[in-house]
Amino acid sequence: MTPTLTGTKKVVTGNHAVSYGAMLARVQVISAYPITPQTQIVELLSEMCANGTLRAKFIKVESEHSAMAALIGAASAGARAFTATSAHGLALMHEMLHWAAGARLPIVMADVNRAMGPPWSVWTDQNDSLSQRDVGWMQVYCESNQEVLDTVIQAYKVAEKVLMPAMLVLDAFVLSHTAEQIEIPNQTLVDQYLPPYQPVYKLDVNDPRSFGALAPPDVYMELRYKMHQAMEEALTEWAKADEEYYELFGRRYGLIEPYRADDADLILVTSGTVTSTAREVIDELRAEGRRVGLLKIRVLRPFPAQLVREALADAQKVAVIDRNISFGMGGIFAQEIKSALYNTHDRPPIFGFVAGLGGRDITPKVIQEIIEYTESHDEPEDLIWVGVKR
Amino acid sequence: MKKPIVFTSEREMPPMAVSLADMGHNRTGSWRYLRPVYREKIAPCKNACPVGNDIPRILSLVSEGRYEDAWRLFRETSPLPGVCGRVCYHPCESFCNRKNFDEALSIASLERFVADACFDLEDRIPERPKRSEKIAIVGSGPAGLTCAYFLAKDGYAVTVFEAASQPGGMLRLGIPPYRLPREVLDREIELIARWGVEFRTNTKIGQDISIEKLWEQHDAVFIATGAHRGRALNIPGEELAIQGLEFLKAVNVGKTIALGKQVLIIGGGNTAMDCARTALRLGAQPVVVYRRTRDEMPAIAEEIEEAEHEGVQFEFLAAPVALRRLNGKLEVQCIRMQLGEPDASGRRRPVPIPGSDFIMRADAVLKAVGEEPELSFLSEHVETSEGIVIERAHGILERAGIFIGGDAQTGPSTVAQAMRSGKETAQAIKSFLRGERKPKPKKLEEALRVNFSYFVHQPRVPMPHMPVAERITNFSETKRAISSERARAEAQRCFSCGVCNSCDNCWVFCPDAAITRIDGTYEVNYDFCKGCGVCAEECPRNVISLVEEEL
Amino acid sequence: MKNFTLPSEELMGSGHLGCQGCGGALAMRYALKAAGDNTIVVIPACCWTIIAGPFPYTSLKVPVLHTAFETAAVAASGVRAALDIQGNTETTVLAWAGDGGTFDIGLQSLSGAAERNENIIYICYDNEAYMNTGIQRSGATPYLAWTTTTPEKTPKAEPKKDIMAIMIAHRIPYAATATIAHPDDFIRKVQKAKSIYGTKFLHVLAPCPPGWKAPSEWAVKLSRLAVQTRVFPLYEVEDGERYILNEPKEDRALPVSEYLKLQGRFSHLTEKDIQAIQDLIDKRWQRLMRQVRESS
Ligand SMILES: Cc1cc2nc3c(=O)[nH]c(=O)nc-3n(C[C@H](O)[C@H](O)[C@H](O)COP(=O)(O)OP(=O)(O)OC[C@H]3O[C@@H](n4cnc5c(N)ncnc54)[C@H](O)[C@@H]3O)c2cc1C
Ligand SMILES: Cc1ncc(C[n+]2csc(CCOP(=O)(O)OP(=O)(O)O)c2C)c(N)n1
Ligand code: SF4
Ligand code: SF4
Ligand code: SF4
Ligand SMILES: [Mg+2]
Repeated sequence: MTPTLTGTKKVVTGNHAVSYGAMLARVQVISAYPITPQTQIVELLSEMCANGTLRAKFIKVESEHSAMAALIGAASAGARAFTATSAHGLALMHEMLHWAAGARLPIVMADVNRAMGPPWSVWTDQNDSLSQRDVGWMQVYCESNQEVLDTVIQAYKVAEKVLMPAMLVLDAFVLSHTAEQIEIPNQTLVDQYLPPYQPVYKLDVNDPRSFGALAPPDVYMELRYKMHQAMEEALTEWAKADEEYYELFGRRYGLIEPYRADDADLILVTSGTVTSTAREVIDELRAEGRRVGLLKIRVLRPFPAQLVREALADAQKVAVIDRNISFGMGGIFAQEIKSALYNTHDRPPIFGFVAGLGGRDITPKVIQEIIEYTESHDEPEDLIWVGVKR
Repeated sequence: MKKPIVFTSEREMPPMAVSLADMGHNRTGSWRYLRPVYREKIAPCKNACPVGNDIPRILSLVSEGRYEDAWRLFRETSPLPGVCGRVCYHPCESFCNRKNFDEALSIASLERFVADACFDLEDRIPERPKRSEKIAIVGSGPAGLTCAYFLAKDGYAVTVFEAASQPGGMLRLGIPPYRLPREVLDREIELIARWGVEFRTNTKIGQDISIEKLWEQHDAVFIATGAHRGRALNIPGEELAIQGLEFLKAVNVGKTIALGKQVLIIGGGNTAMDCARTALRLGAQPVVVYRRTRDEMPAIAEEIEEAEHEGVQFEFLAAPVALRRLNGKLEVQCIRMQLGEPDASGRRRPVPIPGSDFIMRADAVLKAVGEEPELSFLSEHVETSEGIVIERAHGILERAGIFIGGDAQTGPSTVAQAMRSGKETAQAIKSFLRGERKPKPKKLEEALRVNFSYFVHQPRVPMPHMPVAERITNFSETKRAISSERARAEAQRCFSCGVCNSCDNCWVFCPDAAITRIDGTYEVNYDFCKGCGVCAEECPRNVISLVEEEL
Repeated sequence: MKNFTLPSEELMGSGHLGCQGCGGALAMRYALKAAGDNTIVVIPACCWTIIAGPFPYTSLKVPVLHTAFETAAVAASGVRAALDIQGNTETTVLAWAGDGGTFDIGLQSLSGAAERNENIIYICYDNEAYMNTGIQRSGATPYLAWTTTTPEKTPKAEPKKDIMAIMIAHRIPYAATATIAHPDDFIRKVQKAKSIYGTKFLHVLAPCPPGWKAPSEWAVKLSRLAVQTRVFPLYEVEDGERYILNEPKEDRALPVSEYLKLQGRFSHLTEKDIQAIQDLIDKRWQRLMRQVRESS
């Protein structure tokens, strides 16, 4: 179906793309706390609230921990809730991230990937979001400003369906502060795509119930089982949501996105903005006739293991670029992919590269070196530090 | 009772930990090892009241201005509220819990108030089956009157035989009208008569009718002849002194007695006080001569105070040793005493100081050193005739159907004790006539734990008195009635010990919402009560008991 | 003759898991009676987490949001915002936290909410220690009291934090103290709080018989004594300035020993200790009197 109601074109930064996404999703309660490089998101949202473009309550809390707590309250009372944060803010939220997920609240949050201190850094890497990998939030890593906006809307669609919170992740500065022209979708269409949030259970004086009471061992595990079931279900729901979005808006992203990978001997795996750089490198190498391809991991949680297996099934070698490090082990995406493939036959060797920590540029040259290193080595290595001055 | 929810599959569970039911399945009653029970207790005032007036309930009615209801409640336990409200020594007040907080309730004033307020009311006499048994009561003092009242209420044919010309016993013969106006006494006797009690006055048993005859003609006989024989001083010249009680009797029946100015009264009891105050009203300057000090006087404090107030003089630590007449005057030779070791009564024994003799002069000497029962008519006739052996089990001659009570049994006591005796005897006679055993009195737990936190200090309403100057010129009542407002205010001071007055505290303070309240009554829900005891602790009036749970 | 005029509606059900004589349970019972059924309660980690009943049950007849230890005030703010944006400004949002969740770990979010003047009622039921976790000291534990982390040999060396002063400093429209021994006063204050827009704070002394080592039947009596000894005066402060004293009204207070001697947690105190506590209380009372005078 071709869109009948067109959106408007606008040049916006990644951060503002988040704000527009939230606006179009008609979020009702926002609660946030300033932190670079996220701050612009909520600044614009404050303005939208102030000038009436967005009918929402903005609770200007005194910490990120409180921001999430406020949203837990709001979502429990049936409101569509939104926040954005980064690095230390996200870390401070940690307890409440568990709470939101355990309470099955479809809160959506943008995390602008920023390196953790000390030493202080405001530049990008993924350690902040990946530290929250196991709290029960969906995680979606975005590549472009358009994707950022679209993902906010899609995230609510899925989150409210499966009752799990969702975090969309965008790289600091590279995306957050970089302006691109994007399409701001038509509100009527967005409303059609995303109807108001209608929870089955909410804080309601006409149906008084308690939420989050003590769960003894005879029931706790079942509740956790159900969370995992919801995540499994979310795999399908992301695909469906993406497809439906495509029908209305003409854009889709997939849970993963293979790029020129069909006949590739070597597949490079990336996430976030590195993907865009990698696309160019792949195009250049393809022009040279080299059989290299790319796999973008967009949805990390729930992890689309089956899709990843299929995408990498025919590769001879896999190189994973991680803009993060699990100290004492290696890159986290690499681990995820390795564990997804471990139980398959004929799995390709996987090379794990850690690059670009703390905002160091991952240039086309760096990516090229990674590809070359992989091509030139037969034995896979778990952790290859890229560009460390040694 | 609600059942717990059991999930057999995760599919039955909601996605998140949302509640599906209340805690009604969780019977926290199993935690309890102490069980609160509503157990009304007897207020100490009521327990101390010889006739068992239901004081807390009565005062509660007074506090609401429901005087008639209060009066009727009095009459369930006593036929003489107007009398008692004036002359009872109110042991109830001595035991009142409120005295540990500020001052005891002025129960007697309120009793008098209620009786006065309801002076014109009459008992509602219901249709009741007449009983064939005839009962004779000898003596119409408080013991006889009370016994007659309770028997007549039950439909027995009661005849009261009284030696004096009017019924009332000591209430008429001993107690002076300035303490008990005769219209009050007359009215209450009249109300007793309304129940069908027949009074045969001017009839002395043992003289006009023999006890045997009486006994033959009746199914039961109650001897309530009081203690009227004045004790002797056992000193030379004693015959020159007048028996105090005889003096009072004479004045009380309206005889004119000329005592002169200087009157000595020997003795320190209530009779002595009444003699002195009566003499005062006849224009004398009475002096009470007593062997010990004021502290040891057997008269009750209030009477002594009144006597002092009115101007009666006291000569303490003095005892007469001889009386003689000299030049138209009486000369009383006295000896000074000092206090030695305590005697059996706990009072310090007076010991004469050798050589300390002194003389007191008087126009008249009244001796008031106690009275004793005069029962010669009994021992002469009953014990000897037909071989009936009198068994004095608890003072009551049960087997023979002859009962004895009041002062005649105990020696001089009090109006209320005589009434108690009369009331108990009525019960004993009923049991006797029905061939039943006398019911054992139930032992009731006293309400002693008052939670003072729920009360505010408020002084006792004082009893108004006639000014002394006015008092001593006549025999009208010295104490005055309290107003309706004051009566209500005073009654509101009552804690209502041991009697639930629906204050709600237990319901209010239960941390487990385990007390239900229905129309002013309360119930503990033992399914949930944890036995914390808060309700019992916070009940202002000791209505709730904590009893050990049987495990 | 009623001593109190308590609303009859019972919004806290029986079968809850409060200990025998739990002051916190009684406090909740009153609070809900006053707040009514159009109320949503937010409960952070504290004894009430347990008292309210485990999943899938609840002992309250109003909605309850259980939340993390330090988040009562802000989670309540979130609920408030959600209700407001949905057009419901009538429902009362009641944050219900222990002293630990208020004086200590939750102070930041409480301060935030108060500073924003969130339209919520916040009730701290103060049992003067972390009871849920087994009687550890909190900022609300009184001077020289025993707890499992302030053993008798080294009882708590610091006086109780003055949470009222902290809240008053936020100039919230209404702050008041209350106890379970004064149900009418308690209920009036909750109802007054309900009628005011903004952040309302109630500090409720809620004796914990096991934690205070006192017999359960004394729960109410201890509250009453706390007031009579001026350990816990009942007062209200409007807009951070107008002080109103409710109790005790007597010119002379009971000595603090009357209160202390009933509680095992103070059984180790010496005469000198008791005097030190008395001095502390006298000083605080004098300050309160000054504040009452100055603001009238
Ligand atoms: C001066 C005085 C003042 C007192 N003041 C008080 C007081 O203020 N408060 C108080 O509680 N107590 C007082 N008492 C005590 C109280 O009056 C008596 O304890 C009480 O009256 C005893 O009651 P009773 O029925 O046993 O005998 P009584 O009241 O003595 O009645 C006995 C009656 O039996 C009659 N009787 C005697 N023998 C015969 C017979 N053979 N045949 C027919 N009738 C006979 C008598 O005439 C008399 O009427 C006082 C006593 C005295 C003497
Ligand atoms: C972040 C965090 N730290 C510690 C705890 C453990 N904890 C749960 S309740 C509690 C004490 C609560 O004390 P208080 O607020 O006074 O309430 P009470 O249990 O005394 O009613 C503690 C320490 C927790 N739940 N969360
Ligand atoms: S307070 Fe009332 S009920 Fe209690 S002892 Fe005194 S008079 Fe009797
Ligand atoms: S206050 Fe309630 S729980 Fe405690 S003993 Fe009384 S009825 Fe039982
Ligand atoms: S507390 Fe009040 S209502 Fe309850 S039993 Fe006692 S007197 Fe009656
Ligand atoms: Mg506590």
